[in-house]
Amino acid sequence: MSDPILSVEGLQVNYGRVEAVRNVSFEVATGALVTLVGANGAGKTSILNAVSGLIRPRHGVIKFKGQDITKWPAHRLVKAGLVQVPEGREILGTLTVAENLSLGGWHRGSTLNANVARVYDRFPVLFERRRLHAGALSGGEQQMLSIARALIAEPEILLLDEPSMGLAPKIVDEVFSVIEEIRSTGTTVVLVEQNARRALAAADFGYVLETGEITHSGPAHELLADEKVIEAYLGLD
Amino acid sequence: MQLFLDGIFLGSIYALFAIGFTLVFGILDRLNLAHASVFTAGALVGIEVVSRFGISIWLAIPLVLVLGALLGVLIERIAFRPLAGRHDAHFAGLISSIAFGAIILSLLQALFGADTRRFPADAFPQARFEILGATVSLLQVIILVISVSLMVVLTWLVAKSKLGRGMRTIAENPHAAAVLGLNVGRISSTTFAISSALGAVAGVLFTLNVNAAQLGIGHAVELKALAVIVVGGMGSLPGALVGGLILGLSEVLAVNYIGSSWRDMVAFGLLFLILILRPQGLFGARKTREV
Amino acid sequence: MLVEYSSLITLIALTAILAFSFYAVLIAGQLSLAQLGLASLAAFTSSLVVPDEPLFGFIPPLAVGIVFGMCVGILAAFILGLPVIRLRGVFLAIATLAFGEMVRIFLINQTWTNGAQGLGFPKLVGIEVAWIALIVVAYWFWRLSGSRMGRAFAAIREDELAATTMGINVARYRMASFVIAGAVAGLYGVLLAYFSRFADPNEFSFTAAVDGLVTAVVGGVTLFVGPLLGSVFLSVLPELQRLLGINAGWIRPTISGVLLLVVILFLPGGLSGLIPRRKSAKRLVANPALRPDLPALPAPGTELVSLQGIGKSYGGVHAVRSVDLSVQAGEVLGLIGPNGAGKTTLVNMVTGLTPPSTGTGVVLGAALTAGTKAHRLAQSGVARTFQQIKLFNRLSALENVLVGGYRITHDTLLRRLLFLPSARRFEREAVAMASAQLIRVGLGDKAANAAGDLSYGDQRRLEIARALASHPSLLVLDEPAAGMNHVEAGRLSELIRSLAADGIAVLVIEHNVRMMLATCDRIMVLNFGEVIASGKPADIARDPKVLEAYLGSAGNDADVEAASVLAAENLAEVAVELAREHEQGPDAVIGDDAEPNGAAEPEDKR
Repeated sequence: MSDPILSVEGLQVNYGRVEAVRNVSFEVATGALVTLVGANGAGKTSILNAVSGLIRPRHGVIKFKGQDITKWPAHRLVKAGLVQVPEGREILGTLTVAENLSLGGWHRGSTLNANVARVYDRFPVLFERRRLHAGALSGGEQQMLSIARALIAEPEILLLDEPSMGLAPKIVDEVFSVIEEIRSTGTTVVLVEQNARRALAAADFGYVLETGEITHSGPAHELLADEKVIEAYLGLD
Repeated sequence: MQLFLDGIFLGSIYALFAIGFTLVFGILDRLNLAHASVFTAGALVGIEVVSRFGISIWLAIPLVLVLGALLGVLIERIAFRPLAGRHDAHFAGLISSIAFGAIILSLLQALFGADTRRFPADAFPQARFEILGATVSLLQVIILVISVSLMVVLTWLVAKSKLGRGMRTIAENPHAAAVLGLNVGRISSTTFAISSALGAVAGVLFTLNVNAAQLGIGHAVELKALAVIVVGGMGSLPGALVGGLILGLSEVLAVNYIGSSWRDMVAFGLLFLILILRPQGLFGARKTREV
Repeated sequence: MLVEYSSLITLIALTAILAFSFYAVLIAGQLSLAQLGLASLAAFTSSLVVPDEPLFGFIPPLAVGIVFGMCVGILAAFILGLPVIRLRGVFLAIATLAFGEMVRIFLINQTWTNGAQGLGFPKLVGIEVAWIALIVVAYWFWRLSGSRMGRAFAAIREDELAATTMGINVARYRMASFVIAGAVAGLYGVLLAYFSRFADPNEFSFTAAVDGLVTAVVGGVTLFVGPLLGSVFLSVLPELQRLLGINAGWIRPTISGVLLLVVILFLPGGLSGLIPRRKSAKRLVANPALRPDLPALPAPGTELVSLQGIGKSYGGVHAVRSVDLSVQAGEVLGLIGPNGAGKTTLVNMVTGLTPPSTGTGVVLGAALTAGTKAHRLAQSGVARTFQQIKLFNRLSALENVLVGGYRITHDTLLRRLLFLPSARRFEREAVAMASAQLIRVGLGDKAANAAGDLSYGDQRRLEIARALASHPSLLVLDEPAAGMNHVEAGRLSELIRSLAADGIAVLVIEHNVRMMLATCDRIMVLNFGEVIASGKPADIARDPKVLEAYLGSAGNDADVEAASVLAAENLAEVAVELAREHEQGPDAVIGDDAEPNGAAEPEDKR
């Protein structure tokens, strides 16, 4: 992999004395769709939050476009183009859809309106509901809102945390097609998923996590065919 | 009528103090018990600059506003931010803000002594006039105008400005706010600054009204303000205004009809009843919090 | 020396007693600022009853005052508690503060208290009485801390909901802590009045309440000596400054304020947090002979849970609709389904945390209604774990399991106060039973670690041990294998089978379908709140509806479709294989990579 947009080296995250992430290293090539898969509690979200500047890692170096961003706060990273779609969607239920979207453009004053218009074109349902409280949307619509809100921040790299969680299979299909579309526009995507089979089917490259460590990595289609990976992790889930 | 107007004037000062108190609680979910000391600081520093340096009260008020804002930033940085992420942050914040308040008070004592102090008699024009058969001083009118306009500006700020949008986002979901790239630390500091600026100005206005200030005035008003924000609903800005007016009016009426020694019973009785019957207050959304 | 400082030394004791009154509520996770109001009520009313001469010729007047004052404190705290006990956090603090201020204003306006002029009291309290009282109070809290009641308070402080599911009646214990605090506050009020020979209602103000709270917090609430440490620290500090020649009125409060700030910011446990604690308050007791006999579990096959058409909706959204469910003693019933399918809502109804909106249900003989209390169900033999781990994080692993044993252990406070040998015996029995459960889940070597410091998988296991400690007939596990690797999941599967073999009914939610197929006797599949399939694992694995719900093969993505077909075949094989192993008995379950656990003992034969 040449020219990684994001590289993580020797990452360790602790909560109190609990080691949630141990010595994790990975790279994301510019324009790629890379997935981190693993069970609940495997440390996926901790890795993502460390990369996004939401928690401080104990050890390790995180680089974004060659710059050391390990100690950057979240707001600086968003401004620089590293944007997260958090687990559980985290939309602001008492604010309207339109207000949620404009919050996505906190650092994008001049291009905000154009970005919102573009997002409405892509997600007409959000335009229809722009005056509704975001809490009144269905789960799938909330997920779309959460992704749309992140797109308004003009990400160079988009980190998605469990976008399929709690959604009906048909909606999951839609979410995945949106993700592939985002990637096709040149945005780099890091996808964290419990739905490993689904995520690996969409990704170029995959990392399998177990209890805070990377146990397997490789091109996604190889992992998907790897007997050992299937045996140990894919099962049915 | 006289009683009604007196109640409104008193209530508007309570509201001004309480609105800063409730702003921090509503947005950052923290009860800042150093607010009373900021109030006292506003009063004593206001008196000092007017009486010692002969500065006009019109210039003193903005000066005190700035001083309050600075104190607010210090309170947030020193007494609250280091607690972020601790499981007992609510509880520890109460104590650390009490400690910080005590430090402010003792420094005030060092600067100005423990005696009762007053504004010079000519600090404010003594004009009086009659409205609908009641006597009103110019001072009372000014207090009302300043209180109401500060509250209007604040309400507008929270409802319409970008900063206000950030505040409301943090109030609803601080994690989401951070994910979206809001500078949560800076918005928190700003919230404390605004809150304390209002508290300090309330100190000046209160002192002008009763024409006496000593180190203890903050505590008395703080208890009243707790009643105001609980009655109005913890975290609700219009609630603080209405709660302040209700308390001001009922105190004035109580003094008139029951006797001044029972005056404070009104505030606490009201507070107690509201907490038991409607803990979310008149305007608040139902939330319960763990200490 | 002693004479010069006798007032200071007496005040240290009195302040410590006041701090203990705050400590009494803080250990149960509550913040009450009513203590000074209760103290002043006790002080002033005692002036009405304390006789000049010994009562009946031998009861000293002060003893009358103390007993009376404590009774007033208890009664007033109880009456205050009735309306306010349901408030939490800041709201409880403000309501109790309002009460304290109301008492003050009331007393000021009474003639018998002499109003704001204050009332004179005879000097009946000196250094000895104050310290004896302090020692008695401290003794009470010392003996309380290791008793079942003390553990219940700690559990409520750490996690109320989890405490409820251990069978602890949270409302009653919160009230108890309130009343104990009231008694101590009453004692303080009487002692202070008869020490300072004068009392004015304004002395019992908000500021004084804050000082008491600060003393308790500075001392720390994790150890019973905390209030004393706080009192010594805060009383001696100004004295030291005086000795050092710092006399300016403002410097002392500044230094005190700065120190308070330093303590609260940098010593989260207060001063008592500095005291090195014994590594483990109690050691494991691994001797099976010490375990008492426990009542027999229901005979295998007895129906323990029976739900008909049970449903739950939240504001028009149906989380669960019309589910029939039956669980028998000795079986493992699995619940699977996508996230949001309603599995957790269903088990919340079974454990009494959520009342059903529709349908009827009986759990261990108790009907599920809006009035069903989770702690009652827990008392009758339901135990559970949580999807979002709910441990008592600051307690040790062993203490967590001891709380879990609440249902089957005796309250030992009175026995501990009297140092009866039976207290020791009961405590050893409780520890022996808890140790057995810790060892059973493989955490024997981590008994002394704080629960919050354990790894994710260990926390899951500790939750199971805590649930097992109540000797339940029905065990509900919500995603117990989340965060475990496949080796650990294999061991967990073995454990679950062995529990069923003991006769426990196990209802388990889990996403690890492979493990579920290997572990369960029956599996129910939920999707959108409805049961879409139910039956033996081998049949479930072949059910096309299940595969669709799980794999989302509705799409036209060829890869996914191929994968799901592959998975279906794969699983059907696994299931058949496993079913065969099952029949050979629980010992043969996927044992390949699950090495025998070194610490595990032969399990408890009842």
